[in-house]
Amino acid sequence: MKKTLLLMISLAILAGGSFAQKIKGSDTMLPLSQKEAESFMKAGKGNVTVTGGGSGVGFTALIDGTTQIAQASRAIKMDEKLKLTEAGISYKQVIAAYDALAMVVNPSNRVDKLTREQLEGIYTGKIKNWKQVGGADLLIVVYTRETSSGTYEFVKTSVLKNKNFVNSALSMPATGAIIQSVSQTKGAIGYVGLAYVNKEVKALKVSYNGGKNYINPSIETAMNKTYPITRPLYYYYNNKDAAKVKAYIDYVLSPEGQKIVLKVGYVPLSK
Amino acid sequence: MKKIFKLILIALLVVAINPSFAQEAEGTPTDTLGAAVNKLQSAVELMQRFKVTGYLQVQSQFTDSLGNPFAGGAFPANTDKRFGVRRGRLKFAYNTLLTSFVAQFDITEKGFATKDIYMVVRDPWTQTLSLTGGVFNRPFGYEIAFSSSARESPERARFTQTLFPGERDLGYMLTIQGPKTSSWNFLKIQGGFFAGNGINPETDKKKDFIGQISISKSALDEKIKYGIGASYYDGGVYQGTANVYTMSNGVYAKDASAVTIGKFAKRQYYGLDAQFAVESAIGISTLRGEYISGQQPSTATSPNSFTASPSADLYMRDVKGSYVYFVQGIKGTKHQLVVKYDMFDPNAKISGDQIGLSATNMKATTAGDLKYTTFGIGWIYAYNSSLKLMAYYDMVKNETSKNLTGYSKDLKDNVFTLRLQCKF
Repeated sequence: MKKTLLLMISLAILAGGSFAQKIKGSDTMLPLSQKEAESFMKAGKGNVTVTGGGSGVGFTALIDGTTQIAQASRAIKMDEKLKLTEAGISYKQVIAAYDALAMVVNPSNRVDKLTREQLEGIYTGKIKNWKQVGGADLLIVVYTRETSSGTYEFVKTSVLKNKNFVNSALSMPATGAIIQSVSQTKGAIGYVGLAYVNKEVKALKVSYNGGKNYINPSIETAMNKTYPITRPLYYYYNNKDAAKVKAYIDYVLSPEGQKIVLKVGYVPLSK
Repeated sequence: MKKIFKLILIALLVVAINPSFAQEAEGTPTDTLGAAVNKLQSAVELMQRFKVTGYLQVQSQFTDSLGNPFAGGAFPANTDKRFGVRRGRLKFAYNTLLTSFVAQFDITEKGFATKDIYMVVRDPWTQTLSLTGGVFNRPFGYEIAFSSSARESPERARFTQTLFPGERDLGYMLTIQGPKTSSWNFLKIQGGFFAGNGINPETDKKKDFIGQISISKSALDEKIKYGIGASYYDGGVYQGTANVYTMSNGVYAKDASAVTIGKFAKRQYYGLDAQFAVESAIGISTLRGEYISGQQPSTATSPNSFTASPSADLYMRDVKGSYVYFVQGIKGTKHQLVVKYDMFDPNAKISGDQIGLSATNMKATTAGDLKYTTFGIGWIYAYNSSLKLMAYYDMVKNETSKNLTGYSKDLKDNVFTLRLQCKF
């Protein structure tokens, strides 16, 4: 009887472990994937582990076969597609949600709105002092993400129009580090996914039409597409893992999964 | 009573001052875990600097005739079938922000050989400059540096194997390329001085200059990637004898001006390369091509580059070479199809029946002056990033000449290769 019980317990553990899938990549998507995974596991649908590292890290893991799902806050690059082809991997891209990217400053900073051109000037180093944009006489300290980050890529393309970040920009390994640094540095500016914005930082209103309209980053303005710095958030997986990841992907795209998207602070695919 | 009280007091005093009796202040579980994680993180960061990678290529080859002389290494004289380890690479790299050290070896049944052994020093201020020193890939063209583990044909183009044997050379090189965060990262400029003998010691005082400028970009929609490069080689080969021959009216004439032993005969190439990849509904299509022309000091019977200072007479050849690859990935599958055209003309000043002719006091051209064109077709199956199968057929056509014994018609030297590669 005891032996049978032990065998059944072992089989149960093995069975539970065999459905475990890994999600790796974008730090922007971490809060979302963690909540989705938690809810998915609570519902008894399977086991999921989630780690960050940046969108680039996720794609590398997909190529190497060390993750089932790569989460990314940018679309896959041509170089990564070539490596996947070389590795014999055909992949599927799924948009899980949208994200509004907030430009954040220290709460003591009296500047509360900037145009895209001013943001470009700040991040490229042409604007060096907050007084140049209506703030106090205080040097600007730029925080950015590492180059493997999809958030970094998106800001470079959308806000900087592919120009270089200023050499003195401080590169942070994760979104949380940007929040911490900006909250502790009076002259700091950085960028984070909307889901990471908290009371320790202030999100700026942004104008992409030369100052005619300034829009606050929020779920509403991202959903009605008035906030200009919005981007899709992706899951990528190897087609051969389609059956393994189907339950989780379907869960994220379901009404229940999209409610979690809204709850975490991201933008659902539809109202 | 008083005695007992005193004894207790003394005992308490001993306990208080004796550290071995002191109870250690316990940290919280979170503190303990945090300290352990910090230690592990430091260890992992150190380990991440060290990388070991490699690949093994095992293959069977079949050719049309015994002792086929080329095909990535001549077949033994009495065989038209062979099996072997084509490459067994083991690469060690240690990388910090400032430096890299790389050593790569080739281990096969033929023996143990060094392929790369070099260091790189990077500038920590602009992250734009780096200095490489040791034995490493010559900065010429595209195919030299393109890994054999990724290449879609068994061997590099004939001109690469002939003019740049081993791909690597001993030297030092400066690279200028903006960091990944720079909008100039697409541009790379490399230039350096090399011994010119490939993976061999230096044997003379002449240093060959090799330089390259290239760009590599993707379209904003990430469906197209393209690149273009221009390369230049300026060097010399030691004249070990008083005889240097150059082409004159279809034969080799002794160059009256180049009679000094110890001088250097010009070795010079110009190269252009281009790459284009586009994603479509059928998959990723890649087109790659390269062209080279120049002057090659060589021997009477072979256009191959020297691996040491020669002691034979030098024959100066005007060389031309090119290749084009077309690779088609089949979308949704693990298959790729490849078609390749490869041309190498070791003596562009003569052709056809001119080869093999001689004249009074002149030297005849030889089989070393024959042009080769190769048309290759292949299929690649990539099971995953580690395991790949390749089947490839090379149709080799040589120039013919009725004046050259044994070359009045095309030789039977087509090769079929079936290769299994494992990579880690």
